[in-house]
Amino acid sequence: MSRNRLVLLAVALMLALGALPSLAQTEPVTITISTWAGVDEAAELQVILDEINASQSEYQIVHSPIPSDYYTQVKTQIAGGVGADLYWIDQNNMALASEGVFLPLTDCLAGAEPGTAGDVNDYYPGILAVNVFEDEVYGLPWIAQPVVTYYNKDLFDAAGLDYPTPDWTWDDFVAMAKALTLDTNGDGEIDQWGFTNNGWPPPYIFVWQAGGELISPDFTEAPIDSPEFLEGFEFYLSTAYNPEMSPSREIIAEQGFGEMFKAGKIAMFMGGAADDLDRVEGLNVGVVRVPGHPRTGSHVTFAWNASTVISANTAHPDLACKALLAVTEGIHHWKIVSPRISQATVEHLVSSEPRKAASAEAIVAAAQEMRALPIFGNYAEFDSIFWSKFWGPLINNETDLTPAELAAEVRPELEETLPE
Amino acid sequence: MDPGPIATYLPTLVRYAGVAIGLVVLMIIVYRVQIALGVNREAATGRALVVPWVVGFLIFNVFTIGASLYLSFTEYNLFKAPEWVGTANYEQLFSLSLAPLESPDQRSSDALPRRYDEIIRVQTASGGFVLGAKEEGFWRAIKLTLPYAFLSVPLGLAGALAVALLLNQHVRYLGFWRVLYYMPAILPAVATALLWRWIFSPNGLLNSAFAPLYALVNIPRPNWFFDPALAMPAFIIISLWGVFGANSVILLAGLKGIPAELYEAAAIDGAGEWSKFRHVTIPMLSPALFYNLVTSTIGALQVFEVAAFIQTPDSVGTFLNWLIYREAFDLRHMGLASAMAWIMLLIILALTALIFRSSEAWVFYQGAREEKA
Repeated sequence: MSRNRLVLLAVALMLALGALPSLAQTEPVTITISTWAGVDEAAELQVILDEINASQSEYQIVHSPIPSDYYTQVKTQIAGGVGADLYWIDQNNMALASEGVFLPLTDCLAGAEPGTAGDVNDYYPGILAVNVFEDEVYGLPWIAQPVVTYYNKDLFDAAGLDYPTPDWTWDDFVAMAKALTLDTNGDGEIDQWGFTNNGWPPPYIFVWQAGGELISPDFTEAPIDSPEFLEGFEFYLSTAYNPEMSPSREIIAEQGFGEMFKAGKIAMFMGGAADDLDRVEGLNVGVVRVPGHPRTGSHVTFAWNASTVISANTAHPDLACKALLAVTEGIHHWKIVSPRISQATVEHLVSSEPRKAASAEAIVAAAQEMRALPIFGNYAEFDSIFWSKFWGPLINNETDLTPAELAAEVRPELEETLPE
Repeated sequence: MDPGPIATYLPTLVRYAGVAIGLVVLMIIVYRVQIALGVNREAATGRALVVPWVVGFLIFNVFTIGASLYLSFTEYNLFKAPEWVGTANYEQLFSLSLAPLESPDQRSSDALPRRYDEIIRVQTASGGFVLGAKEEGFWRAIKLTLPYAFLSVPLGLAGALAVALLLNQHVRYLGFWRVLYYMPAILPAVATALLWRWIFSPNGLLNSAFAPLYALVNIPRPNWFFDPALAMPAFIIISLWGVFGANSVILLAGLKGIPAELYEAAAIDGAGEWSKFRHVTIPMLSPALFYNLVTSTIGALQVFEVAAFIQTPDSVGTFLNWLIYREAFDLRHMGLASAMAWIMLLIILALTALIFRSSEAWVFYQGAREEKA
């Protein structure tokens, strides 16, 4: 056999081998889902996927986690026409829906039974709105965790203070935070703080409570120079790196933000309802909703939320839809807080996460008052300007301007990014 | 259900094999065509063997560089077809405005047109002026990256030369010391960036070591990466870590290649140690120094890992390469990011050309001298 024939034979063999997977790939169809889950979270998700895969024979869901640099990879995959059929997408990145990279779910959700994951009327409207562009739904939310206040009961007891109650206000919060900022070992340096703020929690909580808006409901204005917005934002700034109640940026950078609460050095911490701060070993932690505005009485809080979407590149839109519905239903019985109104009960929350039993009532109450960010197609640019030219310079003390002066300057630039 | 390793990786392996076979076929075709054209077998074999490299170079270098140049003249957000905008991205980056200050207290924002942010402010008793830019972040990144390169490269070269001279002495366990000094060059850049982040943290190794000194002069522990005045020295110290290793080994090889007769001749002429170093070592080592200078300058201007993995305020630690990455992948301004990348390339080319032009004055090539003679 000549050398040429040998080469041709090798090529033919390799092509035949290449065809093998497609020949073997008769049924079921593989539907891939990419998430940012780390090892532990992926293992928990796999339990749900295994149940779904065992319950039917049309498709098998394969998890393809991307635990780091998630969105760079997701965007590159989608732009390259490859990647998974389903993706987890957080609220900010749902703006990608405006680029047509996710499948609209209108047909997929058309026949959904009431009270199931496909029933759009069962989602909190504000959370679902993040997934809606031009009247089309592009993603099914799987989590909407409101920001709540975790407080260290032992530090309150040591200071002789009553625990915060659901009707507490900004004034109560500030008084408690200051009273809990102490030099506990008498060395002349503060080593316990009432609160901590390094840019988290988000300022929108206080802005919304004061009646302000980051973006008007019709997406035509960014009224960050309104008195209501400024009142909320200035209150927020007063809680950040304020030596009377919170650690400096340097101390937080050195000791870790959440770690300081876990180490018993922070009395109150605003975190997501799913955070594990209420089950840190050795800490006696209570949960209460965020403090309310003293005048408006609002306790509105920020909801971090995320959804599952179908990539527009999928080769199996119908099966991807079925997989999406099944996965979303499964996650609604795993993650807290479920974004569905019918599941806004203590019982459902505790069945999803039994370790949250003690906090369940406060979390469910907070969920009734949560709001999501107003997302639109160009939100990433809006957010970048808002942080780099307004929020960042103010919280990092990098500007001589007052919030009102800076707001008046930055507002036009923000509004240029809004939909025309 | 996990499909198992074979089912998962077989398609990828088949694709790899397909690429390899395709390249082999291409090499055979190139070889045969040359033979048919009467090229001798040795030359034909050589050209056929470089085909895989040429294909890779064309696809992964020439095409991508060309695509980047094209994209710099477009508006492209990854998901929609690039839209030709001519030089708009470059005009955006070079939108500068110089405005006088009516008084030293006048705010830059009051003097500059709307959408322009201050990049340079010069105050005088009667006022002064302010230079603003529409893309202030870009100019801020250049203001950070260029001084970083200008400071870190000479310091790195001087340090590397000192280490190479030490390693060139007759010390015991020389192999061990060489390995030790080269180690930083082979450690992952991300890992070392994280290590340095800890060393420079407020309660890190450096501040702990100097704590008594701080107490003595009654100053607080510095926060290196958050203080604009301290961030640059911190980044430069970090840069020296890797540069010492790689550059030292190259310079050491250069030192070993200097003929002993030259030193003997210099000694006969009455040269002291400093004269030998100045008139023998440095000229003979200048090609290696030149190479290190070029590669170190390019590396310093392209610094990425420390910016990506060491958290700083935007205004303090956003180097140009990191800004390009964020502009491209966070904001999906691929056109603008490509324009920034091309400007960075032009800066690197200009500096490299400058170094090359200057080399005639200070780089000594023994071979070239012999040829001239």
